[in-house]
Amino acid sequence: MRRGLLLVLAILPALAALTPEIAQARIKLITLPVRQRVEIQLDHPNATLVEEERIVPLVRGVNQVDFSWANTQIDAGTILFRVLPSGDDSQPVDAKVLSVSYPPNENALVWQVSANRSGSARVRISYLLGNLQKSFNYRAVASRDESSLTLTQYIRLENFANEEFLSTGVWAGFGPRFLKPIGINETKQMLMEKYENVPFRKTYTADPQQFGYLDRPKNKLTVPMHYVLKNDKTNRLGRTPLQFGKVRIFQDDGRGSTAFLGEDWGRFTPLDDEMKLYVGTAQDIVVVRTIDRNRQKRVTGNLYDREVIVKYEIENFKDKAVTLDVAESVRAIRRELGVETGRDVEWRLGPETTFAGGIDREKSDFDRVTLHARLPARGADAKAEKIIHKLHILVKNEW
Amino acid sequence: MKNILQNTLSMFCGLALALMAADDAAARNVDLSTVPDRATVQLTIYNSEDLTLVRETRKVSFKKGVNPLQFSWANTLIDPTSVELHFVTHKEKLEVLDTTFPHDKRQMLYWNVQSELDGEATIEILYFTSGISWSADYSLVADRDEKNVRFEGFVCVSNRSGEEYENAHVRLVVGKVNLVQRIADLAGIPVSDVRRLGLDARRELEERAAKDLCDKCESMPCEAPAAAAPKEIIKEGLSEYFLYTIEGTETIPNGWSKRMRSLAPVDVPLKIQYRYREAEYGPQLVRMYLMRNDKDSRLGTTPLPDGMVRVFRDNGRDGLSYLVAQPTKYIAIGDKIELNLGSDPEVIFELVKLRVWRDNIWLCNHGTSVYYRADEPGLLVEINSSVAGWDDHAVYAQRVRNYSGKPIEVEVRRGFGGHTVFRSSLRARSHDYHTVEYTAAVPPGKKADLLYEILQHQGHNATQDNVTVVEAEVKP
Repeated sequence: MRRGLLLVLAILPALAALTPEIAQARIKLITLPVRQRVEIQLDHPNATLVEEERIVPLVRGVNQVDFSWANTQIDAGTILFRVLPSGDDSQPVDAKVLSVSYPPNENALVWQVSANRSGSARVRISYLLGNLQKSFNYRAVASRDESSLTLTQYIRLENFANEEFLSTGVWAGFGPRFLKPIGINETKQMLMEKYENVPFRKTYTADPQQFGYLDRPKNKLTVPMHYVLKNDKTNRLGRTPLQFGKVRIFQDDGRGSTAFLGEDWGRFTPLDDEMKLYVGTAQDIVVVRTIDRNRQKRVTGNLYDREVIVKYEIENFKDKAVTLDVAESVRAIRRELGVETGRDVEWRLGPETTFAGGIDREKSDFDRVTLHARLPARGADAKAEKIIHKLHILVKNEW
Repeated sequence: MKNILQNTLSMFCGLALALMAADDAAARNVDLSTVPDRATVQLTIYNSEDLTLVRETRKVSFKKGVNPLQFSWANTLIDPTSVELHFVTHKEKLEVLDTTFPHDKRQMLYWNVQSELDGEATIEILYFTSGISWSADYSLVADRDEKNVRFEGFVCVSNRSGEEYENAHVRLVVGKVNLVQRIADLAGIPVSDVRRLGLDARRELEERAAKDLCDKCESMPCEAPAAAAPKEIIKEGLSEYFLYTIEGTETIPNGWSKRMRSLAPVDVPLKIQYRYREAEYGPQLVRMYLMRNDKDSRLGTTPLPDGMVRVFRDNGRDGLSYLVAQPTKYIAIGDKIELNLGSDPEVIFELVKLRVWRDNIWLCNHGTSVYYRADEPGLLVEINSSVAGWDDHAVYAQRVRNYSGKPIEVEVRRGFGGHTVFRSSLRARSHDYHTVEYTAAVPPGKKADLLYEILQHQGHNATQDNVTVVEAEVKP
């Protein structure tokens, strides 16, 4: 079993140890203090901090402590050497680092440590270590009626650092601390959190700018279905931000097992934000989108107002009623009409808009407009009612 | 282990040699020479350039008459134009007659010394070398509450000069010295080529840049103290520079580096601020540690040279959290220390454009300088006219959500082009002619929507290129 890191203590005469020639000497007596404790801190988004404690026997005077890290990617600039206060030792060793020397062409350094008396000192060495990486992944199991799910979060630690860690504390900056051995080239997955009975929304969205068309010649929009989880306490989440990671989605099949529905990347989701997971395309909801009206009215000179109506013919072939979210970008509509100039325009909803409830202010801004359409279930004869909605937009002051 | 060819000073011996000219010495095939050892050596290392001034003394026995001295520096990075010989003792009896750089040996020179002395004298040889450098770095550990930072400074000297300087007095120069040619370049070419380049004046500049600093070295202590404590690094100002003198002597073999503490650890009070300054930190809200290099902060005894700052924090679990490593520029005494820790996932910063509109639209009749407003009462539509000027309005909400568990202070600095009016009730101010700055405090667990309106005069309406800040209430 390979070991990359080595801490050796060379017992050398006090004053002579000050000169770097000593570090080059090839005949020396060394002791090998073993690790007493190791902690892997994974709370930084891009770096892994390893902290290890060793009990180092020191002699009175100056001691040379060699630290080498062959075949590992320790960031030498980040190495911290700290002498920890001893516990109940009535006469602790007063140890101080005098200097650090770095030999050429080696992953090593030499601390010169002075001690006021002979004895053992507990030291902590901290450093950033490359190729020891974390990632997160999730497993979501939705209930049969798709109203709630159980979300399980795992941390995965991949050790390609070429260093073995025996019984090591692992902490991600939140959640539990684990005490695990992690071998070389080993990947360890650990359960971080389990959130049960998390209510979620199942959404269907018609958004030509974001999701495009299923059948462009027939103007049929793609209607993706998402599971939307809100990361707050009301929805039984909200303990910490949800980290980026792959989410595998299953559903209770009602026969004591689960069926795999799909998977998506869950983006980093701060508290109070929504994690939106794309599950698949809803082919039972058909939305045909057309531009029904495009008129301009001269105000003066080359100054015009414009009136646009976007028409949606919607059929729900599902056996239950659903809500369809319809989203548009005014800029994209103007681009479609060939009148986009790159400048933001003032617009408002016209009176011919048919969506009940008007604009969803939370999900709309100066350019995007989101509305909702309630779609009844298909009839008993398996026929779906065709519902027609219109989005009437009045654009002011174009030129 | 010495893996280098040590530079040598050789003195040619014998009666005949005493009368010999330098050219003769260079041509002779059978020579006898003595090699006086270095008595002392002092290194003055600059971190702004690849430059080290070496001042070494040797004891040499002279005979009356002409004494040829050979100085060679094979496989090192010494600038041949910088080598000088001075006499520390018996100055009145010794004189350099000439200096010869042999055409066939690149890294060698001869001095002919006229001596009225028959005995030992101490000489001093000065030269610039490349390949020795030093750098500063800092280790900061914030306490759990982030009220104080344990601030510790280090200097690291690296020797890649090809030469080993044993028991050298080491001085480190903090500041920018002016050089007109790199020492490493000069070290690689024969002196004849250097002269052809007309570098005499340049040499003088190089020497002057370093000599002033070296004059202080005469009083340097020679003996190393008993070594149970870290060496003190004495800091003192000198002209536009700052000089760090490492206590005692150091031997840094070729290829090695040595890091020593330059600032003993002190607890420095800390302020945290969140900043949005796109020009400085990119398009993100960053968390800053703000300190000051002054006595109130238990610093302020020395400028802080350029160097890497590594920041950790006590994670409250008997361990550290790594926060950031970033290079910092020279920080003068009394100046601010600002460390960018990057974005904070517990503070969400979003800019939401809520609505836009246009007004104050002016049109111009084609081919004329006649303008009229589009919303003028009783307006007659003129077909042959175009929009020539208008005002764009946009209302923004700068949304800040604070999940950090502590109150935070947010400072936002945004730039706007063209003729702009910034309206808000945020008590904003102009940072410069096109940048607006405002601050806000956000309590823990709260969300703040900082509303403002941007009015931009466009086309014919634009008469300035600046931003005006107006205090006004803005509705979403």
